[in-house]
Amino acid sequence: MKYIEFINNLIKKEVSEAENLILFGQNISAGSCLGGLTRDLSVSNNSKIINSTNSENSLCGFGFGLMMNDISSIFFMKQLDFLLLGIDHLVNTFNVIRNTQFKNSVSSFTIFPITVDNGFQGPQSSLNNFADFCSIARIPGYTITNKIDAEKIISSKLISPGFRILSISQRLFKEEIISPDELVYTNDDNSIFQYTQGNDVTVVCFNFSFPNGWDLHNKLKKLGMNVSLFNVNSPTPSGWEKIIADVNISKKLIVIDDSKSENVACNSLIEQIQNELILKKKIVIKRILSEDWVNPVSDIMIIDSENIYNELLD
Amino acid sequence: MTEKLNKKIAYDVLRVRLGQIIINEEYKKGNFKIPIHLAFGHESIAVAISNIMENDDKLILSHRNMAYNLAREGSLKPILDEYFLKPTGLMKGQFGSMNLINPSKGVIYSSSILGNNFSVAVGTAMAQKIMACDGVTLVLGGDGSVEEGSFHESLLMFKSLKLSGMVIIENNGWSMSTRIQERRCPLDLEKFLMSYDIKYEKLDGNDPYNYIKKLSNLRKISLETHEPVCIEVNVTTLGDWRMKTPEFPDGKFINYHAGPTPSIDIKNYPNIIRENNEDPLFVMKKYFEQSEFDEMSNEIKNEITKEIS
Repeated sequence: MKYIEFINNLIKKEVSEAENLILFGQNISAGSCLGGLTRDLSVSNNSKIINSTNSENSLCGFGFGLMMNDISSIFFMKQLDFLLLGIDHLVNTFNVIRNTQFKNSVSSFTIFPITVDNGFQGPQSSLNNFADFCSIARIPGYTITNKIDAEKIISSKLISPGFRILSISQRLFKEEIISPDELVYTNDDNSIFQYTQGNDVTVVCFNFSFPNGWDLHNKLKKLGMNVSLFNVNSPTPSGWEKIIADVNISKKLIVIDDSKSENVACNSLIEQIQNELILKKKIVIKRILSEDWVNPVSDIMIIDSENIYNELLD
Repeated sequence: MTEKLNKKIAYDVLRVRLGQIIINEEYKKGNFKIPIHLAFGHESIAVAISNIMENDDKLILSHRNMAYNLAREGSLKPILDEYFLKPTGLMKGQFGSMNLINPSKGVIYSSSILGNNFSVAVGTAMAQKIMACDGVTLVLGGDGSVEEGSFHESLLMFKSLKLSGMVIIENNGWSMSTRIQERRCPLDLEKFLMSYDIKYEKLDGNDPYNYIKKLSNLRKISLETHEPVCIEVNVTTLGDWRMKTPEFPDGKFINYHAGPTPSIDIKNYPNIIRENNEDPLFVMKKYFEQSEFDEMSNEIKNEITKEIS
């Protein structure tokens, strides 16, 4: 099944079972329904679907206003960069809410933007770092990258007391959704997932780089290497203990972060590991941006797994 | 309006005025750590709004919320203590001034960000509609906030979603130190709202009795028609002064925006600040004999002195 179909099915299930829920956003029940994200949604009689005005800033405030008055809602958004217009609310309004009785509200507000990370989208695709939005006010945020995290995160976060942002990758829409064989570990918050365990090397993926990490894992495995594969789904996880414990065994770390922003979330993990452990090998795979990075160009991150394998053997 | 209600409104206006004077005196002494925006001259509209509110109504304010919070709370000490950031403050000293709320009196959100609160009001009004609540959402902005895109977006949403709401725009002609004509072209709100088919009403003259009558009617219309109404109210934010400098030996005009004002002194209470309709006390005083006005002023003074001593 395609990535977007799988996520759409999960959303359909959650919203159909909810009471008193408002779904809103531009074209969420019209046209392509945000490329299939919100296709065929149906809600209970006391819930509503609103094809909204093109008013991103006010739609963010609208959701917070609903939340403050005990009504849950989801704001589906076609592009993450549209959320730039709502930053005032993400910082100021959310901070006020966190300082009032509303912090204990049982109502839910979720903003669900699509991260436009297809390089051919040009300037707007330069904003592919989901962590940028979450870090500005320590907002809970979660990326969705495969079958397992999609099920866990959508069932636990889409409609849940409080506010958060969930995001998916546009680049993956038409790809077959990755289906890891097993879930080795996830923390209580579903912000860190571990899919395989191996003593030779620890691979940690950030932002939407899980497909790269999964591919690297498969290739290293074929070459006889046992890999621990982690994905960090939230830019503000509660702690790195599980990952550090794993690296302490393997002594070899590969970090992959496909963000184009200067301020990448993986730096926090790398710093802490370097403070606590002496590594035999550290490979950090980040974006190397060419001069035309704001133009419509292919920006697929290519990882040379054979070269990495040889480096790990050194 | 009964004589009893007539006097109650006068007491409310005097209480908001004296409360602000006392806050200003503390401010002049440097006793606050937080920024505070006084609202001398805003007493009539604040008292009127507070008086037309029903139990299920919600009030959403801006950074210059002092007159409204004083009117809603009806006493000074909880607000004074809030400004001192004391645990005995209205919100336990956790909100200060610009974001001060009072949920038990319907003040559920105050924003320090220009135009930020309009859309929160739309969400609140939507929630009231969903819950079939018999209340109206009232939201306050200024002539500066109508320049923000969120003002237009929120009106569009109010109207499109068929929501009851009262959008109150206090037009004091200034945004910080800039007059309207210094920063933008004129904006005719009435014509602008006409294009959205939103009812518009202009209030002028600072007569709290007249304001209450008109606002009560507008509230009823909004509730019955499930339509927003927009009220532009002319206010003069009093407290300006002249600062003498070598360049301006006669004093340079300083518009009041925030902080303490040196031009208002508690020794002059209950004297009016300005001898025209720009001062709500000047307008209200016309309804009473001098002796009656003095008596009411003294009663409020005694009440507040006792409360904060």
